[in-house]
Amino acid sequence: MTWMASAMRAAQAQLDTATHNLANVATDGFRRVRSAVELTARGLVARELPDPTQGGIRETGRPFDLALLGPGSFAVEGARTRSGSFIRDRDGWLTDRQGRRLLGARGPLRVSDGATVAADGTVRDGSRIVDRIPLPPGTRIRSGALEASGVDAIGESLAILTAQRAFETAQKTLVAIDQTREKAVNDVARLK
Amino acid sequence: MYAAASGMAAQQTNLDVIADNLANADVAGFKRAAAGFIDVNAGGTIGLGTASTGTRPDFAQGKLMKSGGPFDVAIDGPGFFRVERGGQRAYTRNGEFARAADGTLRNAAGWQLRDVRIPEDATAIHVGADGRVTIDTAGTTGRPAGRIRLATFASAENLRALGGTTYAATDASGPEHRIGPGGPNAPRIAFGMLERSNVSIIESMMQILNAQRAYEANAKGVQAADEMQRIANNLHRS
Repeated sequence: MTWMASAMRAAQAQLDTATHNLANVATDGFRRVRSAVELTARGLVARELPDPTQGGIRETGRPFDLALLGPGSFAVEGARTRSGSFIRDRDGWLTDRQGRRLLGARGPLRVSDGATVAADGTVRDGSRIVDRIPLPPGTRIRSGALEASGVDAIGESLAILTAQRAFETAQKTLVAIDQTREKAVNDVARLK
Repeated sequence: MYAAASGMAAQQTNLDVIADNLANADVAGFKRAAAGFIDVNAGGTIGLGTASTGTRPDFAQGKLMKSGGPFDVAIDGPGFFRVERGGQRAYTRNGEFARAADGTLRNAAGWQLRDVRIPEDATAIHVGADGRVTIDTAGTTGRPAGRIRLATFASAENLRALGGTTYAATDASGPEHRIGPGGPNAPRIAFGMLERSNVSIIESMMQILNAQRAYEANAKGVQAADEMQRIANNLHRS
């Protein structure tokens, strides 16, 4: 019986993962989370694993929209993100949509209007090299583009249905086991 | 369930922004906007869905087209026309102005172009690439009538949208820098032209379809979560 309860909990966790993914189908740079169900000594357990699938690249033409091609993330003040929609603020700092400054190898990046970001992360103001955005080996930056969400709405809809059916199956099985035990407790020992 | 509901709210916001873009696709000087979202996490990897980070205008240049209006101007390059209405100052790239009875140039929403006044006896108007306005009258030609100056901002994306094509300066955008058009590397004024909106109708229609599908999928997520809670609640009765 506890096993069936664990199966219901695992289905619930899968649903949570799928709905969280689906909610972020329009979030630039979002990497979907994969839910893997494993059989352990405590029954079925759903574990969340990051899915490294690259999101689609969408051209925007804005010079400080940066898409990461490959693994890694941008360092902004107090966090890391793959969402590369940056703008210059009034003082020239490159900031993300939440107003956090983008960090280069030497700290926050401050540029003039015509600055460029090269594929290897080098930030140039005219011909002067300002700084470099640190990248893992092999990862490139595409300037003038954004990485769309890595979520596939159809796939997540299917995951929701699957989780719902798994939940129902576990619940039906749980009820069946419970009825069997009811019989064992109430009927088997009854003297006729 | 709340994650899925936040996804529905996000797609609703998305639809509103796209619909506004589409509604203004034929308005001269209109700039498309895009809604932004972030994922919301409470500690672990799995979180509470999504949240909006607000909408941001995209000031990409629109195509210039010939127009028939008597005082149509367009900006080729960055910058905004400086306008005012009832003491309030604002900025727009919509150059569809017409002469009002008092000689000022106003657009359809009543915003007045600053620094230029057209006298009543003007028979013809000309605007140079440098923004200098000259008029012809019955007796004279090429009489100066003011100069259009443009405003640029350190962070134009942080201007506040006042609706339609008009924006106001904010703390985050920084104050206006006044520039004279026409110099080297400076924007130019195109007289007798209007800037089309930078909305692509096809792209917007695709975005609407995507947003609607995503909204429906999130609604299914809410239903599934609700259904599972109902089953769990009824466990003791079955």
